[in-house]
Amino acid sequence: MRDERYTKLAEVLVNYSVAIERKQLVQISGPTLAEPLMTEVYRAVLKAGGHPATRPYFPGHSEIFYALAKKHHLEYVSPLSKFETERVDRFITIWGDENTRALSNVDPEKQKLRSRSNRELFHRFLERESAGEIKWVGTQFPCNASAQDAEMSLTEYEDFVLNACLVNLKDPIAAWRKIHNKQKRICNRLNKAKTIRVVAKDTDLKMKVTGRKWINCDGQANMPDGEIFTGPIENSVEGKIAFSFPACYSGREVHGVRLTFKKGRVVKATADKGEDFLHAMLDTDDGARRVGEFAIGTNYNVQKFTKNTLFDEKIGGTIHMALGASLPESGGVNESGIHWDIVNDLREGGTIYADGKIVHRDGKFKL
Amino acid sequence: MRDTRLEKFAKVLVHYCLGAEKGDAMLIRGESIAAPLIHEVYAEALRAGAHPMLRLALPGMSETFYNTAKKHQLTYQSPFAQYEIENIDKLMSIRATENTKDLSNIDPKTQAVARKSQTKWMQTFRDRSAAGDLRWSLTQFPCSAYAQNAEMSMSDYEDFVFRACMLHRKDPVAAWRSVHRKQAKFCKRLNQAKKLRIVREGTDVSMSIAGRTWINSDGRTNMPSGEVFTGPVEDSVEGKIRYSFPAIWGGREVHGIELTFKKGKVVKATAEKGEDFLHATLDTDEGARFVGEVAVGTNYNIQKFTKNILFDEKIGGTVHIAVGASYPQTGGKNSSSVHWDMITDMRHGGRIYADGKLIYKDGQFILS
Repeated sequence: MRDERYTKLAEVLVNYSVAIERKQLVQISGPTLAEPLMTEVYRAVLKAGGHPATRPYFPGHSEIFYALAKKHHLEYVSPLSKFETERVDRFITIWGDENTRALSNVDPEKQKLRSRSNRELFHRFLERESAGEIKWVGTQFPCNASAQDAEMSLTEYEDFVLNACLVNLKDPIAAWRKIHNKQKRICNRLNKAKTIRVVAKDTDLKMKVTGRKWINCDGQANMPDGEIFTGPIENSVEGKIAFSFPACYSGREVHGVRLTFKKGRVVKATADKGEDFLHAMLDTDDGARRVGEFAIGTNYNVQKFTKNTLFDEKIGGTIHMALGASLPESGGVNESGIHWDIVNDLREGGTIYADGKIVHRDGKFKL
Repeated sequence: MRDTRLEKFAKVLVHYCLGAEKGDAMLIRGESIAAPLIHEVYAEALRAGAHPMLRLALPGMSETFYNTAKKHQLTYQSPFAQYEIENIDKLMSIRATENTKDLSNIDPKTQAVARKSQTKWMQTFRDRSAAGDLRWSLTQFPCSAYAQNAEMSMSDYEDFVFRACMLHRKDPVAAWRSVHRKQAKFCKRLNQAKKLRIVREGTDVSMSIAGRTWINSDGRTNMPSGEVFTGPVEDSVEGKIRYSFPAIWGGREVHGIELTFKKGKVVKATAEKGEDFLHATLDTDEGARFVGEVAVGTNYNIQKFTKNILFDEKIGGTVHIAVGASYPQTGGKNSSSVHWDMITDMRHGGRIYADGKLIYKDGQFILS
């Protein structure tokens, strides 16, 4: 049975998010369980005149890989992947899992080595993206494993995902354009600011954003979307932050993360659960201790924390900070093999100041 | 649930068929429904130190392609597929499908156009494997759609596949090595021959095989295997063949094919069912009307025609003569984007003569 909503979502991804043109090379990657969406995306790319290259993978293979991989496997970067990174015009990434915790017991050192090996590819990808040569969008296929994390039934979770993507609306593309215009005004305001300060429970954090650019996330790179972000000046972050939500990475959860920054660097990191993993991640490389991204979530169709960054970082009324690589379009220059978004709720008592003036309070912009 | 026979299967594929070594770039191609076998092959490849990469196809994707693609998409040569075939060391293809007839209603011309765009890929594949730079193997995961065509239950069909691959034997690799030795004798005899004549009811065809090499297909490139084959001198095939089994290409069945050859070329082609498709395929390109391969099936663990070329062409006691591309390692020079194996049963009254001497009768070699 075909769910017409996937046809609609595929059209948003192909015709709005990465806006495929005739004869463009389009890589579509995703787990085999996302077949209903992947098939529709494949069809939509063909309809748009593009050349789709599908890259389905088995959800369980990372686990097999880490269980059996020797050092030369972990260090290997496939020339095929390099070639694709150089040649693809449009990337559509679909996420989905059978078990979001399949990698819970993998040695973090192995994952770290793997991230380090992939760094060159990731860097090249970002470089091409900021040069405007490629466009990329990532989306989530609603599957049971994610529904389970979200503490919902699959049917409820499908509605959650598709509503967050505005696919429930008659014309989702028009709705995303409207969001673009609204967020543009917010970015214009913040682009004038030199310093940002965030105050919330156990949190008082300052950073400089002078000369950096606020980016309008309007459904082109993520679906769903709804956030604005920048890259703070790398050595300017000072103070402490206590994250209200768990930090999730590759199926791991770290609860009660508290970070203290000095001159932009994490100098103290504690957690209630998963502190070892937090430390291992921070030790990935030098850049992993610095903030690559500071962002404000604006999607008020996403209200609930579902342990999935794609949605959680968009929750209307939250901020998130990413440790690791900055996104070059913001002007950020931090380099790292990781990019780890951690989300903090501002809906009850949080305040954001721009050059000392309140611009956001209790989860809403006050411009 | 894990079927432990699949672990055994994967070991044969990775070590015997492909000879995977540390550092090899290995591509595993297959339909996602072959997951249980692909998992085992992926794991075994890692254990061998190779770098396995997957290229999975999702069910129904080909149909979507043919029904949606415009001309520039049908004729497109993917630079990724080309780059892969130029750079990998090992290629494992695992067949599986949910529906063997899902392309039945696609215009054969559309398929022919798409196939033509694969010519360069095929050429690179053949050249690199002939040069020994690329080792490849093709196998099939037993699934319901094939069982249905074979008119068997799923568990009977699994047994059929595993027996054909000799996985029921304690040491399948030793069993395949013994097949290799036996077939080496057939090849040696055939390599001395200049002329081959195949005779059975409705069939009397002659061809020159002078200077061509007979290849011992011992389970490495096809699993299962069990055949010896060569490419006849392209313009030498003369006479008529009536194929006793339906010939299947791109999911279509053509029944009761009769081909008449003059100077190597098909000059008349008739069929009881699917004649239009037969003609369209023969018209794909110039090479599609010439014989690319003549072969004798030797796998006596396969007795039944199951509408699946990987198994049917190996049936002990059959001959197949393929139109289209030849395999360069035989010395064959025919180039085409088609390679369509058509099979005929020799078990009852079939005879093969080498330079006029009877060397094969009723489905068995009779070498002195």
